[in-house]
Amino acid sequence: MDETRSSLGPDPDLRAEGAQLSADPEMLEARVDAVATRATVAAQVDAAAAAEQRRQRRYLARALLRSPTFMVGMFILLFWVFMALFSTGITQNPTDVDPAASLQAPSGAHWFGTDDLGRDVFARTMAGARTVLIIAPAATILALLWGGIIGLVAGFWRGLTDEIIMRLVDVLLALPIIITSILVLSLLGKGTAIIIVTIGALFTPVVSRTVRAAVISEREREYVMAARLRGERSAFVMAREILPNITQPIIVEGTVRLGYAVFTAATLSFLGFGLAPPSPDWGLTISTQRVFLQIAPWTVLFPAVALASLVVAVNLITDGLGRVFAK
Amino acid sequence: MLRLIGRRLLLMIPTLILASVLIFALAEVLPGDVGRSILGPYATQEQVDALNTELGADKPLYERYWNWASGWVTGDWGESLLLKQPVFPVVMKGLGNSLLLAGFALAIIVPLSILLGVFAGLRRDSLLDRGITISSLSMTVIPEFVSGVVLLYVFAVALKWLPVTAMPPDGSPFVYRFYYLILPAIPLMFLELGYIARMARAGTVQVMEMPFIRTAVLKGLPRRRIIFGHLLRNAMVPTVTVIGSQIGWLIGGLVVIETLFVYPGIGKLMVDAALTHDIPMLEAAVLIVAIIYMVSNLFADIIVALLNPRIRKGA
Repeated sequence: MDETRSSLGPDPDLRAEGAQLSADPEMLEARVDAVATRATVAAQVDAAAAAEQRRQRRYLARALLRSPTFMVGMFILLFWVFMALFSTGITQNPTDVDPAASLQAPSGAHWFGTDDLGRDVFARTMAGARTVLIIAPAATILALLWGGIIGLVAGFWRGLTDEIIMRLVDVLLALPIIITSILVLSLLGKGTAIIIVTIGALFTPVVSRTVRAAVISEREREYVMAARLRGERSAFVMAREILPNITQPIIVEGTVRLGYAVFTAATLSFLGFGLAPPSPDWGLTISTQRVFLQIAPWTVLFPAVALASLVVAVNLITDGLGRVFAK
Repeated sequence: MLRLIGRRLLLMIPTLILASVLIFALAEVLPGDVGRSILGPYATQEQVDALNTELGADKPLYERYWNWASGWVTGDWGESLLLKQPVFPVVMKGLGNSLLLAGFALAIIVPLSILLGVFAGLRRDSLLDRGITISSLSMTVIPEFVSGVVLLYVFAVALKWLPVTAMPPDGSPFVYRFYYLILPAIPLMFLELGYIARMARAGTVQVMEMPFIRTAVLKGLPRRRIIFGHLLRNAMVPTVTVIGSQIGWLIGGLVVIETLFVYPGIGKLMVDAALTHDIPMLEAAVLIVAIIYMVSNLFADIIVALLNPRIRKGA
């Protein structure tokens, strides 16, 4: 990597040259003309690029529709999204207690049986997707946002900033994520927002590493050079020039993180950090109903299978996307 | 080679110091008032102050960090707030139990998943390959407490083949422990299976396309010699790297599995310490896990270097 080029912004020599050019009135006129033609050319190029982009997007959509892995995953995911949104109107109330009917086996009245407090396991299983489907995507978006900014800055500026950021990332990754989150959550207390921020923050280092690598492979390209020569500010080059060109790796990273976020959120609520009863969350339910495994296995097995299906679905989507993008 | 190990060991020191600062900061600075965070909102201010004096939490931060870190190096890890016992022996006992469980799981899963991966790679794109790839991948992504609970139901509750608990009754011979560890070890194996098998498969596929394999085949070498003498050694490099990088997931898995099976390992210790705000115990357990994590990553790097002559013999 050429370190002298890594200084920020446009080359100071070129900027001086530009100032000289604009000082001469005739030159200035010629320059205005040039700018005008450049603008029309740019508009044409933009239109062509937009058409090309649309074509590519249509192609990607068609490839995804034809990928069985992606479609199966999407179908299961949409099922759980639907249940998270509308199950309240369809099933019984997931928090309605009926002590007279506790730990009943599955029957016509209670399809999945009842738990120790007589709550309907079917209703709780269907509603259990809600917490995970809020926490995991929100945490992933936070991680992509923070990791994206950090990765862009570190990869674009390089030098000392990059060195310091990457050292910090190494330290944060020196601890397994589940351990750090236990440490943080035990001190910050319970609540959906706290879990989202914790998981988002702990996924940030990994995301920033991916984004940084993508930025480094882009920053020496001609279009970045051109933007710098035009005298654009670093923030503009990062956000409007480089970012649109690294969306694919970011999307793939996002879906991979989403899978891990579901995994981590479920694990944390199973361990007793983050969510409190009577939330029908699957991880929490498995941990509280586990003691009844020998006498009423349905209270545990249905949420377990539901959680497994969601995790597998997200990973099928990731796999399908990765395959289509790789082509 | 020695220089490589030496350099890596030296690099570990600043990371370790930073990690210890991080753990200390999270445990003692984040909650603001240490005494308050231990005793909870209903304790009186006098009780909180008394506990803070007892813990030395009223001293300046750098002094507290220094006392904690220097005590840690000399084996004085403080006293558990919950058990009122020195932390060191409790953590070491938990660590021993965890290493037994993790070692047992790894000893079975590493050879097994390499075998599956190489098998799949040799019969690339066959039905067997697709089957191994998809099933190992799904097993890996499902949280370990989910597979653990299902396995517990099938093998301990329904079939009654294996015990429900993870520890044999007191006074049983040592070998009995492995019988009780079979069920907790399987979800841990699932966790690793997909990654190791996938890497072994990818390594095999890549090496099978190399000219030296074609030469060996055309030379008329028996298949067994091609696989063991030429293929495995080259296909193993990415696999070993991935085993090293999976140690973090294995530790996370241990935390969950020990909680599910109520097994007295370091993961259960950590969760209990975190839930009861036993901060000396929590700090000690997390730091020792961080050290083990770093050391095992170092080991993985050394093994990779041993397998690859370019790194072994290079500068």
